[in-house]
Amino acid sequence: MYKGAQIITEPVGKEGDLMVLNWGVQHPASGPMRIKVWLDGETIVKVENDPGYVTRNLEKMLEYRTWENAVVNVERICFIDDLGTLLNWALAVEKLAEVEVPKNVQYFRVILAEVGRIVSHLIGVGGMFGALGVATPMMWVLTLREFYLDFLEHYSGYRISTASIVPGGVRFEPTKEDFELLKKAIEETERRWPEYKEVFKDNPTLVERYKGVGVIPKELVYKLGLRGPVARASGVAYDYRKTYPYSSYEDFDFNIVVKEEGDAYARFLVVLEEIEESVKIIKQAMEGMPEGDKWKVRMPKKIKAGEAFSAVEWARGGIEFFVVSDGGTGPYRVKISAPSFMNIWALEYIAPGHKLADLAAIFASLYICHGDLDR
Amino acid sequence: MDWGLILFKTLVFPGITFLLLVIFATFYLERKLVADMHGRTGPYYVGPYGLLQTVADIFKILQKEVIIHREADKLLFLVVPAVAFFMVALVTAFIPYSETLWIVSTPYDLVISLALLTSLPAIFLFAGWVSKSKYPFIGGIRVINQLISGEIPLWLAGLSVALWYGTFNYIEIAQKFDLIGFLVNLVGFAIFLIAILIVADRPPFDIPEAEQEIVYGFLTEYTGVGYLLLAGAKFLEVFVLVAMTVTLFLGGFKGPFLPGWVWFLIKIFAVYYLAFAIRASIPRIRLDQLIKFTWNILVPLALLNIILILVVKAF
Repeated sequence: MYKGAQIITEPVGKEGDLMVLNWGVQHPASGPMRIKVWLDGETIVKVENDPGYVTRNLEKMLEYRTWENAVVNVERICFIDDLGTLLNWALAVEKLAEVEVPKNVQYFRVILAEVGRIVSHLIGVGGMFGALGVATPMMWVLTLREFYLDFLEHYSGYRISTASIVPGGVRFEPTKEDFELLKKAIEETERRWPEYKEVFKDNPTLVERYKGVGVIPKELVYKLGLRGPVARASGVAYDYRKTYPYSSYEDFDFNIVVKEEGDAYARFLVVLEEIEESVKIIKQAMEGMPEGDKWKVRMPKKIKAGEAFSAVEWARGGIEFFVVSDGGTGPYRVKISAPSFMNIWALEYIAPGHKLADLAAIFASLYICHGDLDR
Repeated sequence: MDWGLILFKTLVFPGITFLLLVIFATFYLERKLVADMHGRTGPYYVGPYGLLQTVADIFKILQKEVIIHREADKLLFLVVPAVAFFMVALVTAFIPYSETLWIVSTPYDLVISLALLTSLPAIFLFAGWVSKSKYPFIGGIRVINQLISGEIPLWLAGLSVALWYGTFNYIEIAQKFDLIGFLVNLVGFAIFLIAILIVADRPPFDIPEAEQEIVYGFLTEYTGVGYLLLAGAKFLEVFVLVAMTVTLFLGGFKGPFLPGWVWFLIKIFAVYYLAFAIRASIPRIRLDQLIKFTWNILVPLALLNIILILVVKAF
């Protein structure tokens, strides 16, 4: 049975002893990645990750872009929350060019990034229920998500992949109607949230299935460099918004959601409760929005040679860019370090010993986005 | 004996044609009602209120090529769905839609139905076995797990009713139904409801077909007609079990004013609605949790229920 987090590297079993199951690439719950599972009856003996089916070479493609139109590649790291990656790109390029953006732009960027986080977390909550075969929560959160997408659509013209945060500012000036739509989305969230929370959080079957399943101990977080909700659910209070504040995050009053248990249920709760914190931040940013009519500062076409590192807390954890410039119109080299690629390796440690039915639950609770898994 | 009437009963109502209608109707209702609970519209475009959506889907499935796995046993692979379908269709013959509307009525209705239903998992296991594929195989094994956990509460709760009314005949049970009978059998009703969800692989006990775990269980390799027959067998199995619940615990066709078969269908719809609501709200439980639940709670409760009925009947 389950003996705590461990990884099995040596070959297991004799030939014909165990069933080797290809859980993916074409599987309803796997997404475009393969998980090789060694099964003893219903019990998982060993797990091997095999990502790489949707690799797009984004890092290389970025080298052929200019500083500004690189956003179209950056936002496709993961379309579910594109705004976090866009913000990180803008921060990295501004650091290289030594450009400071005005306070109102910083506040509005915070609003956009938090909307991206809410949109992503809502799907995450629905997906964690979806892994257990019930679709109702997914449909409910998608209905709520529409209100935020309406805001994004009205602001930028696109529901997802908005390309709205660019180096030097934001692409468009936000109008009064934009803020009204956002206010409506926030109101709708607050109106529905008590019911959603009651249904989602205290669902006895969900607790039965998720509690004590896939426990990630604190040491494993440090060993593998796990990030985001996965790390925070294991008691590691690490959040770039607090530890290394960027884009005026230090002005806002919010909490890092931390759970000590480290199991799938804790990860579910972290994702669920972070939505509340994001709503808090958006409300503060809308109230305290500084005066200013400059939404984009002039960026140089060529940026002098140098290198910059930038990191933001994205929906799935800290995403980090290391950008090198050789004085040209675009980046010379970009290194992206994304959270899903870090978090997926925890699966090899925590899945053995569980039943096959738990694999879908653990996989969903790791909150993977296949876009940033393969890039 | 009127052969025309018997032919009508077997071929039209409540025979084959009606059974096809049942498959269409339950599939449509399930989609529409679950969509309503999701906050969606459900089938909408094909026909009025999307009524013909299911028909369109079934004809689309019929057009599909029948693909047989290279390693699979071709004959058995093709025969198994038909056997499953006709087995379930056989059980529907015992359902009394009203005092006169039935195909077969024997003194042993309940036992025969239960026996036929209990032999179904073996066929589903076979469907997974002859597919010679990993996911169907795991699904087939999981069907046996359902059998171990579900059938015993089903038998115990079903037979407790026969114990109370003193007969295995559905029509007599329905006729003898009254308020006292309903109240005495209330515990049995709850056990039977849970047991039919387990036996018919309905959520939250849809472990053999768990999409997120093993794709579609023993149905994974089936396409076209074979898939349709197997899926139809599963739909009919639910219908049979629901009809049994209604007959045993809710008085079947018994009711004031309206004709018997209308009452019967209304009661069936009520039980179906409950099953749909459960599907839309409860996540799937794990295989070992199911066995623990049935053998620690459901089976002892069913045995106690039988003792209770014996005690009440003695006084």
